[in-house]
Amino acid sequence: MKRGEVVGGYRVITEPTNNGGGNCVWAFGERDKEQVFIKCFLEPKRPRPDSTASEKSKRLRLQACEEFEKRHRTIMKMLKPDASGGGNLVLAKELFYEGSTYYKITERIETSSLATPADLDSRQKRVLLRTLVLSLKQLHDIGVVHGDLKLDNVLVQKRSKRAFYTTKLIDFDDSYVSGHPPDAESIGGDVRFGAPEWQRYVRQDGSVRPDFLTTASDIFALGLMAHYYLTGALPGFPDGYDSAADAVNAEKPLRLDGRLASETRELIKAMTARSPGSRPGVDVLLERLRDERIFVLNKKSEFTPSPPGSTVPREPKPSRVSTNMNGKRPVAPSVTEPVKSAGKRTSRVRINR
Amino acid sequence: MENALVRKQHGLAYAVDIVFCIDVTYSMEPVLENVKKSALTFRDRLESVMREDGKVISQLRIKVVAFRDFADNADDALEQSGFLNLPEQASEFAHFVQKLRPNGGGDIPESGLEALAVAIDADWESGLDRRRHVIVVFTDAPAHPLGTPDAKAANTYPKGMPESLDELLEKWGYTHSQSATMENSAKRLVLFAPDCAPWMGIAEEWNRTMHFPSNAGDGLEEFEMTEIINTIANSLT
Repeated sequence: MKRGEVVGGYRVITEPTNNGGGNCVWAFGERDKEQVFIKCFLEPKRPRPDSTASEKSKRLRLQACEEFEKRHRTIMKMLKPDASGGGNLVLAKELFYEGSTYYKITERIETSSLATPADLDSRQKRVLLRTLVLSLKQLHDIGVVHGDLKLDNVLVQKRSKRAFYTTKLIDFDDSYVSGHPPDAESIGGDVRFGAPEWQRYVRQDGSVRPDFLTTASDIFALGLMAHYYLTGALPGFPDGYDSAADAVNAEKPLRLDGRLASETRELIKAMTARSPGSRPGVDVLLERLRDERIFVLNKKSEFTPSPPGSTVPREPKPSRVSTNMNGKRPVAPSVTEPVKSAGKRTSRVRINR
Repeated sequence: MENALVRKQHGLAYAVDIVFCIDVTYSMEPVLENVKKSALTFRDRLESVMREDGKVISQLRIKVVAFRDFADNADDALEQSGFLNLPEQASEFAHFVQKLRPNGGGDIPESGLEALAVAIDADWESGLDRRRHVIVVFTDAPAHPLGTPDAKAANTYPKGMPESLDELLEKWGYTHSQSATMENSAKRLVLFAPDCAPWMGIAEEWNRTMHFPSNAGDGLEEFEMTEIINTIANSLT
């Protein structure tokens, strides 16, 4: 995929990048004045029409392509935009191939950053979290696990100055039917937000069967994210552990912000329990989110965990290098990149104004 | 701060193997100097980018395959290191890279596909939890087809070379492949190569492959290597 190229009728208008996605590249595109998000999959690849490979080779590659299409189209069919909460899911518009390569088209959501979600008042936080849980409910009610729930896959929108912040959930390419995950080598997910059972599954330590990976795995990630939206930081964990899942697997407690109400800390503890069966489902969460005390941050902090990662801003720089490019200068894909001075941390929460 | 490359007792252990296939013919001099400089800071820069994403590399190994043209001069057509652990073998890695000299090459196409084949056959890590096997090709030229008689006649031509690009694709592999050398979920190929055959075809048809364009004689700007490092780091997720 190259900037300026036409793919599926959409003209690629930004430099493709693999930023944020290990096995795909993406860019923004445009057709009939409508702007879209184009994802170009690096796998599978179809044999070229003029391929001189053996029939067996072509057949095996096409088999992988058929499986890929089936999995994606199944999820696309199950996620209906008109269902309750469905408006908060950024769903795929099209899946197609051109040449050897598969592409997926989704709506482009303009985003900018919310630097300090913890500074929102409790009403705003409540709406923010509620819309996120409602989005997830739509997946969980039909038995679908998001599979890669993390801050980067939640876009925050604010339609007008006086409106509340709401969320849109994106990227369902790692989704799977609850209890039926891909094999351990292929499963997606992010080590920072992955659930303890996900981590053990990936490690193939023999303690986790595939049916252990259910919608409860998303709840673990949601617990970490809720802590972030409420306090501005992810929960901490002891030195010597690489992730929350890592610590929880070792039965070490996560460090939660002391400013949170006790009800909130108990809720997040439950959401991040080691046992998937102990975590509340989305319906229970929606009920708990009715309690306004959940969103209150008291003044004194017993502990302030580190903000998520230490993301250094990569300001757009002129460059010849771009993916599958013809030497044109890449442009930062977001409409506005967060700009911050050295030492400050970038929020992964993006807002559409 | 604890050295992030020290193997952790807990968590997912990432083993990252990277093979640099570097065209060291004369026209690559501007690129080679920057590759040399970047190679020496590569570990730190990669670690830094990975840390931003909360990922820790438990083991990093780098191998270099430097290539020219078997049909032009068999004696200097291919030089390769073994896999070198970083940081423990950083000085050996630095020494190998520093002694590379841009010269020779003869005609325009080079032996890039042979170098890629050698890289595919490298002794990749097979343990730990999450493995990433990355091949990065730096060249400003097209490649001779595999199986060219002039190249095969060279007394230094590696044994067991594929005879065609189709055979090389089978070694690279794909999902359900029964003959692949590379581990499908672990592998990544990053091409810094011209928009011409065979590189365009490889970028189009091979899975888990990304392509950056290169132009003969142009230097590799510092920020472009940053993007390449970022691309490599992003591909490790």
